[in-house]
Amino acid sequence: MKVSRRLLVSVCVLTLSGFAPSFASAADTIAIITPSHDNPFFKAEADGAAAKAKELGYKTMVMVHNDDANKQNELFDTAIAAGVKAIILDNAGADASVAAVQKAKDKGIPSFLIDREITATGVAVSQIVSNNYQGAQLGAEEFVKLMKETGNYAELVGKESDTNAGIRSKGYHDVIDQYSTMKMVARQTANWSQTEAYTVMESILQAHPDIKGVISGNDTMAMGAYAALQAAGRKDVIVVGFDGSNDVRDSILKDGIKATVLQPAYQQAQLAVEQAHKFIKTGSTGVEEKQLMDCILINKSNAAKLETFALKP
Amino acid sequence: MKPMLFATGLAVALSLSGCKLVKTQSADAAAADPIATLVSETFEAKLIPALSGKAVDLTTLRDALKSGLDSAGSQFGLRVGGAGGGWNFAVKGRGKVIVENRASKAAVAEIDLDGDGTADAILQLGPVVKGTALRDVTPLYDFSAFRDQIEYARLGRALNDRAVSTIAADKPLNGKTVEFLGATVLRSAGEKPLVTPVRIEVVP
Repeated sequence: MKVSRRLLVSVCVLTLSGFAPSFASAADTIAIITPSHDNPFFKAEADGAAAKAKELGYKTMVMVHNDDANKQNELFDTAIAAGVKAIILDNAGADASVAAVQKAKDKGIPSFLIDREITATGVAVSQIVSNNYQGAQLGAEEFVKLMKETGNYAELVGKESDTNAGIRSKGYHDVIDQYSTMKMVARQTANWSQTEAYTVMESILQAHPDIKGVISGNDTMAMGAYAALQAAGRKDVIVVGFDGSNDVRDSILKDGIKATVLQPAYQQAQLAVEQAHKFIKTGSTGVEEKQLMDCILINKSNAAKLETFALKP
Repeated sequence: MKPMLFATGLAVALSLSGCKLVKTQSADAAAADPIATLVSETFEAKLIPALSGKAVDLTTLRDALKSGLDSAGSQFGLRVGGAGGGWNFAVKGRGKVIVENRASKAAVAEIDLDGDGTADAILQLGPVVKGTALRDVTPLYDFSAFRDQIEYARLGRALNDRAVSTIAADKPLNGKTVEFLGATVLRSAGEKPLVTPVRIEVVP
């Protein structure tokens, strides 16, 4: 894992040094910094951004921070030293990332944020944020409907350092808690991890064999929970996820997991690069800094149209 | 606009801290919750007039949608966030309630606007209200002025709660003809508008 990450960085740096002799083209590079590509969501982001950057004639420098703010800080130093024209960032912490983005801004390098927001405005040029709250409400509304507005359920929460873990949980509860007949019997983090979710789900099942549903902060945890339920012969338990991954799509189509919520990761990353391009050329994106991008409910009715975090027309 | 509102809240808080003995619960709560202050200061004073002023009749909107959502949207609606969202419309209408579902906590009344016996729009009656159409239908509330999407979402929820608290939500509506004013968001031209009403009046 670590090795492959270093490799990725060094490959990029190599690409850059390859262009060092002709300084002008080396300068036309966009850095794309996201969490680990182990989660296909972040890979889709990076791929979307890189494809659009290439289309617009830029070189790319693709790096991953693994949700580590210190690592992210180092990557910003690398990008700044390389003289990139812009940074596309899915950040490693709403508060912790402000300083890094400010540092780049002070060096004249604009940042365009995707997926997660930071707690300051006027530092990044754009913050194109997935409307996680709206998405969570969609997921929760579907969950409540599937549960017929009643019953015991468990919630799996994401990694605490990720602002979206809290936002999604809050969005879920904003809807579910309005139903007094819905009773949460367990709420545990599984840190966005499939294997962790499996273990957590096993122990929840032992303590609360009467649960009727599981609402999960993301799809990888939903996959882990569903596997544990399946292993325990509890296919009756309703599972709802979040992200819109291909794995969950396949599960929905096979009557496994019941629903998820798509964040248009690919499209969002492309939009960020378009705005970066416009900013580089004209000094302005022409739009507000903070932009909310709506999420879309995925269930059996539209799952077949889902492919790599985008809905086919 | 909003910074001024918050500044007012702050001024209230400051002046209160200067006279310890007369702190009141409500002033404290208002100072502690700028969202509640914002809603109470803007809902009647700004949002309702804005909705009344720009509301398009749902039958007019339906005709306009025949030439596409974007065309109807640019004529009557507002799109917030710059990307990916739907078009928000201030809407009004008059029709007969043909289905009233109070069994769900997200209660709804289905409205027949053209008298053909099928529902053309759905009014949300609460207490659970979906969406953020009331927040997004006017330029009154700008996302950039909020700390994060949780704060912004709290505003959406507070506006919805305020809306269902003002409509006569517990009176039976089935079979009655009603006039309504509200907001809706459309993501496709064909979908049945789900309206968050700020006013429902039974027509005698």
